[in-house]
Amino acid sequence: MEAGTLRNPVLRARRNLTDRIGDPLLRGLSGLAAALAAAVILGIVYEVTQLAWPAIQEFGLGFITTNDWNPVTKRFGAAPFLYGTVVTSFIALALAAPLSVAISIYLTELAPRRIRRPVATLIDMLAAIPTVILGLWGILVLGPFMRDTIQPALHGVLGFLPIFDGDPSAFSYLTAALILTIMATPIITSVIREVFETVPGDLKEASYALGATRWEMVRQVVLPYSRPGIVGGSILGLGRAIGEAIAVAQVIGGATLINASLFHTGGTLAAHIASQFQNSAGLQKASLAYLGVILLAFAVLVNVVARIIVQRGRIKDVDSGDLDLSAAATQAQPS
Amino acid sequence: MSKRLLSVLVAALALAVALAACGGSSDGSGSTGSSAGGGSEEAGAPLVGAGSTLVAPLMSKWQSDFSSKSEITVTYGAIGSGGGIEQITSRTVDFGASDAPLSEEQFEEADAQGEVEQIPWALSGTVPAYNVKGAPKDLKLNGDVISGIYLGTITSWDDPAIAKLNPGASLPSTKITPVYRSDGSGDTYAFTNYLSTVSPEFKSKVGTSTQVKFPTGVGAEKNDGVAAAIGQTDGAIGYVGLAYAVSNELAMPLVENAAGAFPEPGVKSVEAAATAVEDIGPNNEISLADLPSTAKGAYPISTYTYVIVPLETEKAAEMKKFIEYAITEGQSYGTDLDFAPLPKQVIAADEEAIAKIGS
Repeated sequence: MEAGTLRNPVLRARRNLTDRIGDPLLRGLSGLAAALAAAVILGIVYEVTQLAWPAIQEFGLGFITTNDWNPVTKRFGAAPFLYGTVVTSFIALALAAPLSVAISIYLTELAPRRIRRPVATLIDMLAAIPTVILGLWGILVLGPFMRDTIQPALHGVLGFLPIFDGDPSAFSYLTAALILTIMATPIITSVIREVFETVPGDLKEASYALGATRWEMVRQVVLPYSRPGIVGGSILGLGRAIGEAIAVAQVIGGATLINASLFHTGGTLAAHIASQFQNSAGLQKASLAYLGVILLAFAVLVNVVARIIVQRGRIKDVDSGDLDLSAAATQAQPS
Repeated sequence: MSKRLLSVLVAALALAVALAACGGSSDGSGSTGSSAGGGSEEAGAPLVGAGSTLVAPLMSKWQSDFSSKSEITVTYGAIGSGGGIEQITSRTVDFGASDAPLSEEQFEEADAQGEVEQIPWALSGTVPAYNVKGAPKDLKLNGDVISGIYLGTITSWDDPAIAKLNPGASLPSTKITPVYRSDGSGDTYAFTNYLSTVSPEFKSKVGTSTQVKFPTGVGAEKNDGVAAAIGQTDGAIGYVGLAYAVSNELAMPLVENAAGAFPEPGVKSVEAAATAVEDIGPNNEISLADLPSTAKGAYPISTYTYVIVPLETEKAAEMKKFIEYAITEGQSYGTDLDFAPLPKQVIAADEEAIAKIGS
């Protein structure tokens, strides 16, 4: 401050001081935050497992394959709910992922610039609908529509498959899966849209320059480039579907047996816990906590698998992306 | 550069503090229930209870009226009967409320920390409701038919068993969709207790509990979920709490009682059922499913709901006062909420039970 000659060393000393203290401090604090997050997860796992302990001791691993849930005879098993969770969430994924890709392509490549933002906002708002409201809509509108229109049609065409056999019902695996599709779509779409927007303009231009049509450009540039993002977004949506409890409990019909038909009532892990925990005690409560442990394990498993897919996809995508481009180039050159 | 670093540091610090605060508060919340009884001054120690959702509307009337009359505040958490039993067993509350009487096993667990007592303190009914296009109003059913429907042996509305009870009525051949509560409920207890009493087959195949495994049908959440499912499904039959069915004007079938009559479901017929049952079982357990054949006006699916209190408690005086209030003055609030008043013999038994608290 006082003299120009002193200025530099003082500043340098200061900077060194903040560097010396700041960096370790930042490392310490952010490390602490990360450790706390990890501690919360471990704490939850510990608590749920402890709550489930009587049931784990009573039923062991056989619990997972037991197709029964009877509070009167005190025989409990996870199979009906594990089955329901897998079936509903994977149907939801199978429907929501392609739908989200289509929406994203439209919003980033095809739609008139003026309507992109409003439409995207509307789709995002779909995620803001409270799940109970969606569940009520499922009971009052979607369920009856499924029972009276969709299910008879599916039964008429594909009735020879056991999954489309049986009497139509408003409360069913299929209704629950559709509700989950509606929940997962905006989440998957928002991720995929972001990823599509990061595709470098140069690559797209190059593709067009080589004579690609818009569809060829999307197929050869946008999709391969975005593959990890598409997988990641889909897994995020799948996680949502696996964990959703209330809306599913409202529309799935609370049955406690595995049923092959998608038209039949069923149950999922999360929905069953939400539905029965409040009024249960003793071994039943422990068994519900055991379902919680299984749900946690299942969610972690899905995440790990997704990570592996994303990792492998990332390596592959660079290769295949290049290959596709060069293929397009060789195709375009002769003409 | 250093400004940015500073803001990152502040943010990280804030996050850490917030997380630590969360951890701290969740740690302490478990023990608040039992520590509430510290101050026993003139106003009387506050009472904390938890359990039955069925009794909750009546309880909220009691809470405000009782606290204004006695200066004792009552806090109640409608967490479900199972939760109420669990909390009184671990003594985290002063009283528990349950729609189902405690089983022997539950009594043993609850008695581990000193004897508990079960006192019936409210009376209500569970009623079937139906939605069948083309079926007559006030359709007549009996216990055998209802249990047949819920066991899956009676599957269409023109079944001979239903036709026999409704001579001359035209019945559609619509498929029957039985609807049940997928969450635990006192209504399920009353309903299955009734069906288990009238049908040995139902008793052996399904049994009595707040949550059972029905072999067929559709499960729905809470009273309103059941009502919505019935409303949306042609051919559906379900069961809901009396108060809910009456206030929502659901179509209710008439159910035959032991006298061969078909009383209209309501406070009057529930009261008639309660008056007709003189026997009070061990631990004040009373089942209203097995009615004497002389009680013509008695509604067959009536049920008591219970309060569970430890005999040894620091708040004996307050507890006695509250239960005394509930079974006498408090009953007057019942009629508006479709609870029937307790009959004399039950009040007498309750008085005896109340006298034991704290002695």
